[in-house]
Amino acid sequence: MNTVLEINNLTKKYGRITAVNNLSLSIERGSVFGILGPNGSGKTTTLGILLDVINKTSGEFSWFGQPPTKEVRKRIGAILETPIFYPYLNAVKNLEIVAEIKGVPKSNIDISLQKVDLFERRFDNFKTYSLGMRQRLSIASALLCDPEVMILDEPTNGLDPQGIAEIRGLIQQIAKDGKTIILASHLLDEVQKVCSHFCVLKRGKLLHVGTVDEVTKGAELVEVMANNPALLEQALQQFKGVKNISKEEDKFIVTLSEGQSAADLNQFLFDQKLVATHLLTQRKSLEKQFLEVLAQSDHA
Amino acid sequence: MLKLLKIDLQKLANYRAFWVLNIMYGVLIISIPVVVLEFMKWLKEKGADFNNFDPMKIPVLHFPDIWQNITYVYTFLKIFLAIVVIISISNEFSYKTIRQNIIDGFSRMDFIKSKMSTILLLSLGSALLVFITGLLTGLIYTPDLEMGNVFDGSEFVLAYFLDLFCYLTLAFLLTVLLKRSALTVFMLLLFSPIERTIAAFFPANLKFITEYFPIHAINNLIAFPLSRYWFQEIQDYVSLSAVGVVLIYIVIFVYAIYYKLKSSDL
Repeated sequence: MNTVLEINNLTKKYGRITAVNNLSLSIERGSVFGILGPNGSGKTTTLGILLDVINKTSGEFSWFGQPPTKEVRKRIGAILETPIFYPYLNAVKNLEIVAEIKGVPKSNIDISLQKVDLFERRFDNFKTYSLGMRQRLSIASALLCDPEVMILDEPTNGLDPQGIAEIRGLIQQIAKDGKTIILASHLLDEVQKVCSHFCVLKRGKLLHVGTVDEVTKGAELVEVMANNPALLEQALQQFKGVKNISKEEDKFIVTLSEGQSAADLNQFLFDQKLVATHLLTQRKSLEKQFLEVLAQSDHA
Repeated sequence: MLKLLKIDLQKLANYRAFWVLNIMYGVLIISIPVVVLEFMKWLKEKGADFNNFDPMKIPVLHFPDIWQNITYVYTFLKIFLAIVVIISISNEFSYKTIRQNIIDGFSRMDFIKSKMSTILLLSLGSALLVFITGLLTGLIYTPDLEMGNVFDGSEFVLAYFLDLFCYLTLAFLLTVLLKRSALTVFMLLLFSPIERTIAAFFPANLKFITEYFPIHAINNLIAFPLSRYWFQEIQDYVSLSAVGVVLIYIVIFVYAIYYKLKSSDL
């Protein structure tokens, strides 16, 4: 039983607008699955249907190979869009309600709050929390039932850089525990940093699905600079692992052939008595891939 | 079911408006008989002229009259409890917590059951308070107390319970339809005038239908009792057909709530 979620031809129409268009997808246990897409591409609608708060127009889906019921939802920890809690209740009281609904012991509450570092503030009312604390409380709430699957929808939305780093760290840690995570985001960098798999949605249509590694591996691009650009250029042309060299002012961008790395290039330059003042491996980014996929869909 | 009630009470226990409104309601229930008696005493002291008739002798708060009299008057207070219900449900929509409840593992029916059990508790608690208040007031003020008479007419407390339960269920339905608390309270207050206006346009031979309009049907449970003191005949019993109609309305309201929640995206 390794498929956590199976979606077949899921469609949601709002009048004439099709928010989710014939979507089929399956998510394996243990993966961190990123759902990418511009705002309004149907990410939240899809998750809403999977969690039974939005009625589908047609299609099927199953969780853990079972038809979706409330019992199945009790095994999932999920947040959609913004953190939702009773503003006049404190963190503990809010989580008590969640624990009661999910049928999990109240002793989980303190553990969850400690994980997201909210234990000290647990008796303060939710409405006094900053946005970052609210996001962390929703993660605590999602963790409460020790879920088999976590669904996070834009978990770093509206946070400052420190808050973003905190939440990301938290997600990576949860992923390390072997939980399946479904992460909807329009931040590519975020998906690249935490996800193992990803898909791209646009106007409710699935444009691409695959692993993140597939996109980011392959030939490496290396930026090189040295005090004597002319000598550097000569040396680079002699290096066997070079596929292509382009020049941007004093900076050379070298495309290495398979199996070569920046270390090999550095060693070579050293042997040539040249010292690089700048050496940077450019990771191939998901962003590029994402824009390519979107551009292709525009031409299609 | 008890678990669902517990969840709903956890939501309300720290909500100040819930307690303020409930306490106001409770205080009013207890104070009305006291105020009425003080008023009658005051009338007597001021020597109000009732053709030498002692106002204290009007058996308003004597067994068995008291049951119908106080339950009739108390039905005017039910708006307090309706506001409690409306706030509790509209909050779920404005905070979107109904959505999170379902994401966390409620079914829509669980949500309805959870709210309905609070409504049931409010109605039962308030009927119990009315029963105790009526009993004590009657015991204190009935001059020629015969134990056999004490519970005569106490079926009006049951009618009061049904009246409240049906009215609060209607408040639940209106909140689910309108979502906003102020608007819903307003609509609930306007419900009866709107019914009357519509009824006014019914031709005479179809007039009987207007008896079955929701608020009218609820009001049929406890007929206006005070006119007996100016020697008019009143309906001094709870009619079974009125009970039947109200029960049917409760079922219709709950089903309408279910249908609305089932078919909407939260």
